[in-house]
This record gives sequence, structure tokens and C-alpha cells, in this order.
Amino acid sequence: MPRYKLVNGINIQLTAEEEALRDAEEQAWLDGAFDRAMANLRQKRNSLLAQTDYLALSDQTMSAEMTTYRQALRDITNGLTTVADVEAVVFPTKPGA
Amino acid sequence: MAISLAQASSMDLSQDYNFTGTVTGMGTAGAMTLIKTLTASSSSSLSFVNGSNDVVLDSTYKAYKFVFKNVHPATDGVNFQFNGSTDTGSNYNVTKTTTYFDSIHREDDAGGSIQYQSANDLAQSTSYQNLARSTDNDNDSNISGELWLYNPSSSTYVKHFMNRLNHTFNSTPQHTMDTFVAGYFNTTSAINAIDFKMSSGNIDDGTISLYGIS
Repeated sequence: MPRYKLVNGINIQLTAEEEALRDAEEQAWLDGAFDRAMANLRQKRNSLLAQTDYLALSDQTMSAEMTTYRQALRDITNGLTTVADVEAVVFPTKPGA
Repeated sequence: MAISLAQASSMDLSQDYNFTGTVTGMGTAGAMTLIKTLTASSSSSLSFVNGSNDVVLDSTYKAYKFVFKNVHPATDGVNFQFNGSTDTGSNYNVTKTTTYFDSIHREDDAGGSIQYQSANDLAQSTSYQNLARSTDNDNDSNISGELWLYNPSSSTYVKHFMNRLNHTFNSTPQHTMDTFVAGYFNTTSAINAIDFKMSSGNIDDGTISLYGIS
């Protein structure tokens, strides 16, 4: 199915060269799916870790449950090799502080 | 005797007034002029190119504003991107250095955060700049916001741009994501065309309007 670009309001069919370039871009996008999924997973993990960072301060005492929770967050990327693996990740439940 | 100063309470603005004289002193400074609105319809890209079909992107205005309304990707989880051209759209490959950060909040009220996204900034790169990442393509999802481009025809300075938009992040549960992108086209050649597209797939729907600010 041919692609069309909209230039100043005029629909223009992509040339063969433009189609080939777009195909290559879309393939590169597909090839990067795992890296993007891992980046999003790490962002969410890092956000959850940051929410309990204050418990690691020297004037706080971290419970064993919180230590386990934070270690589980750090380990959450272990063994993931596919996008499906990443999408199946279940985050641990945050214990009471 | 002509009234030179009228207090606000002296005029009934619910009435119709017929001014037959010329209003002076207003000038055109600060006027925002709609130049062109493009409406996507399964479009691979949307481009504004100076010099045809009533589109101006030159020294006519010192600042330009692109307004995105309900831009909807055809493909799930893609990035909305843009690039500039110095050859009226033959090539979109201008060198850019940019910053990118976003704030995020989930529909289940968890995970609120602000984060710099180093994977989405550019350092002297000619690649397309992401304006929104991992955009959801659900029927109720879309991208809305604006991009400013300053003095694109300068032959002296680099060209700065600033983008802020909101969109639905592709995740479960869905997130709202407020994205901030800024940077500059590192060239003293005039930027005379701007191109918008998705990292993969078409722009299914939505409008992008270009305004000139005098």
C-alpha cells in the first residue's frame, strides 16, 4: 500500500526511494523494541526505588521487608530477553515503611 | 469636548458601539497570524514548506508557533518526531542539540515522577527529534500541545525551539505524560521547512496549525 506525505496541504505519494527509506526506519524501530521496553521498565523501577530512598539514610532503620523489596526492584531486569518477558514483569508490592 | 479617558464603569460593554474612525497606536506587534492548518489522514508525514500554498516560514515573522491538536498515531507505542530543512524540504537533516524531560502520572494514581530522558535528547545529531515518546494509539488517546521556533531565517544565529505537549503514554494502566523538549538547529542557514512524523507508522488523524508571530 503506497504511503502519502502531506506537504502544505497537498497529498504526495512517496517516491520509491522515500518508501525504501521509510521501510528501513520502520524496521529499525521494530528492532529496537526490546531496548525501548527495558528503558521503560528501568524508568518505572527507578521511580519506585526513589520513593523509598529516604529509608536508606543514616538516621533511618530499614526493615527487612523493605530491604527485600528494594533488592527485588534492583533484580527485576534479570533474565529478561524478550519484549514479552518485559511485559510480563510484575512489580513487587511495597511493604509498609 | 472629546473624552480622553473613560473609566471602565463609564462604558456599558453590553451595548453595540460603532467606531467609524481609525484605531491607532495598536500596531501589529504581537499579532498571531494563522498561516496554515494541515489535517492528517493516514499521512506518513506532515510538512510545512516555505514558499508555496500560502505557507511562509521565513523572515516574515520572527517567531513561529506550531499547535498540535489531537494528533493520533496509527501505530501503538511510537514516538512523535520533527526535523528541519535548509533546502525547502529536499532533506530534513539539520544538526541539533536538545534536552528532553517529561513528567508522568498514572491513571491509578501511582508512579508520579519527573525524569530527564537521555535516550531522547540529541547532541549534534541530524536525526529527527522526539517530541513525545511511546504514544498510545487507543481511540481516546492523542497528542496535543505546541512547538515554538524562533527567527528561523537568521543568517547570524542558531535557531532555538521549545516544545511542550501532553499525550497518553503507552502502558497499562495508561499514563498522562507532559513533555518538555528544547534545543537549537545548529546552523546559520535559514530553516525553511519543518517535517513531523511518527517513528513508525502513519499519523492517523489530527491537525497541526502554523502561526506567525509578528
